[in-house]
Amino acid sequence: MTLSAVDPQALEPIRKRIFLALFTALAVALHTLEFLLPSPVPWFRFGFANIFTLTALFLYGGRAAWTLVFTRILVGSLLIGNLFSPGFLLSLSGGVLATTLMTGLHRLGGKAVGPVGISVVGAIGHATGQFLVAWLLLVRHEGLWLIFPFLLLFSFLSGLANGITADLLVDFLKQQPAFRTAGSKTESARELRRPA
Amino acid sequence: MAVAQSSDTGKGSGFKGVMNRLTWLDRLLVLGVGLLVAGSFTLVKAGGAGQRVVVERDGKVVFNGVLTEARRVTVNGPLGPTVIAIKDGSVCVLSSPCPAKVCIRTGQINRQGELLACVPNHLVIRVEGTPDVENDYDLISR
Repeated sequence: MTLSAVDPQALEPIRKRIFLALFTALAVALHTLEFLLPSPVPWFRFGFANIFTLTALFLYGGRAAWTLVFTRILVGSLLIGNLFSPGFLLSLSGGVLATTLMTGLHRLGGKAVGPVGISVVGAIGHATGQFLVAWLLLVRHEGLWLIFPFLLLFSFLSGLANGITADLLVDFLKQQPAFRTAGSKTESARELRRPA
Repeated sequence: MAVAQSSDTGKGSGFKGVMNRLTWLDRLLVLGVGLLVAGSFTLVKAGGAGQRVVVERDGKVVFNGVLTEARRVTVNGPLGPTVIAIKDGSVCVLSSPCPAKVCIRTGQINRQGELLACVPNHLVIRVEGTPDVENDYDLISR
């Protein structure tokens, strides 16, 4: 193969960057697609884009997940046309809180937490972040809290579904040659040090 | 196993694989968050129940009492006396000198923020969650 002629140490970051770009593009597509789906209440969304946040987190680490989330929210909002509108602020606050929780949990838990556990926590974080900003900036009405449990329940279920999907995707990708070294830094380092 | 793929995880594929890959911490997180969600339902319900009855005439508080204590209160408005009954954690207007009797037909109220209003007799009966009368608002829009 011609690839073997290339220095693997130089190839790995390029590969990572390309796949991260691909994941981001897919996340933006899902973010936009979800906007087109009808929803009864503005905050009730499935958060399919989080599947790719989780994938990036498990394959490439926390920094990659943050890059993906910020790019997705910015580009997604540009496409939808609600950049810097209340909807954008809700997306951003939810995304920031969810990603903080998810990357933190990933770092703390290490191999002890999988995509499903992290996804569920992230989904609740997303709902809570959105709700707090909605409460602080948009509608200060006691009645708002009445829908909060329903939002949490919906987030919990969609988070569970997204987590399972992400787990399947990560598992599938890890079986592909291009992702062999991704996700475990020690292993890739060992492989790189191996004399050619 | 027949599937001899050289996977790092290698615990089967499909939904069963996901279940196999779940760690104890994953299960704990899912369970914990699930309980949290269930808890939020009861919390909001508890917060929704009112605790006090406040009667105002032209913005001035003329009666302030707890919802738990069954009693009858007579409040005087410009048209005459309005009789309010507090029973089983709910409030209702028993009799009123007003012509339309909207306040009587509104029925019972027991949740925080609900109100009975008798416009002709200048009376507003509110159910509140906290004893704090001063810091009470329905809506702040910015």
